Amino acid sequence: MSLLQHLPASRLRPRRREVLPTAAVTAAAAGAATVLATVDPNQAGHYPGCPFLLVSGLYCPGCGSLRAVHDLMHADIADALARNPLAVVAVPFLLCALGAAWARALGRRPPSTTSVPAPVLWGVLVVVLAFGVLRNVPGWSWLSPA
Amino acid sequence: MSDQGSMPPPPPPPPPSGGGGYGAPPPGGGYGPPPPGGGYGAPQGAPPPNHLVWAILTTLFCCLPFGIVSIVFAAQVNSKWAAGDVAGAHESSQKARRWAMVSAIVGIVVIGLYLVVVLIGGLASNSTA
Repeated sequence: MSLLQHLPASRLRPRRREVLPTAAVTAAAAGAATVLATVDPNQAGHYPGCPFLLVSGLYCPGCGSLRAVHDLMHADIADALARNPLAVVAVPFLLCALGAAWARALGRRPPSTTSVPAPVLWGVLVVVLAFGVLRNVPGWSWLSPA
Repeated sequence: MSDQGSMPPPPPPPPPSGGGGYGAPPPGGGYGPPPPGGGYGAPQGAPPPNHLVWAILTTLFCCLPFGIVSIVFAAQVNSKWAAGDVAGAHESSQKARRWAMVSAIVGIVVIGLYLVVVLIGGLASNSTA
């Protein structure tokens, strides 16, 4: 591993400065998931509606993600996919990213998202944009959050 | 001519006392590390973060188009790094970070303002009811 030899030794030691922010993000994510599991977003009035939906009347790529996370916390994957399939797909990726952040804070060297081939990320962009458009098209109601 | 075959073979040359022949390989030869910043491919060293996770978080859970701008810059980081453009990759990394923060802050502010409007509206409708 000639790459490791070129790095300063401090890169392999735990990064104490990253432990606290990573712990804060973990606590915030756990707290948000707990609130979403207990306070049902399917009932009107529990959460404010999306301003983008209110102004434009359109579903953005994030529409339905609160209800999808609520369903996931209750292990109801079918309902979660019906509300926002992209959010369901994103959750394992986000969990992996959180694990990588902990690994980095504890001194390991997890693979970076910058090492992902660039066409994959441009593909992510296309998927997000296409998802945001298609879920508003009448024939694609399986993508809509309703 | 025929008596050449009966001649004793010449003595072998003395072994080299040093420096010549099969000595140590020249220093620094062989398989050293590739030169940094080669003509193509990803540069050596740690790549800049592309902040893709925050871009996707703000796009899917903040409900704002700024997250999409952040995804664009995240993909730019990877493209430029793979092409060997170190300065450009760091520049795009900064932009991806900035737009993810803008997206998160605007999302929090908009939701906060919206909550205030809903609360005031609720109070107003309560008072008139």
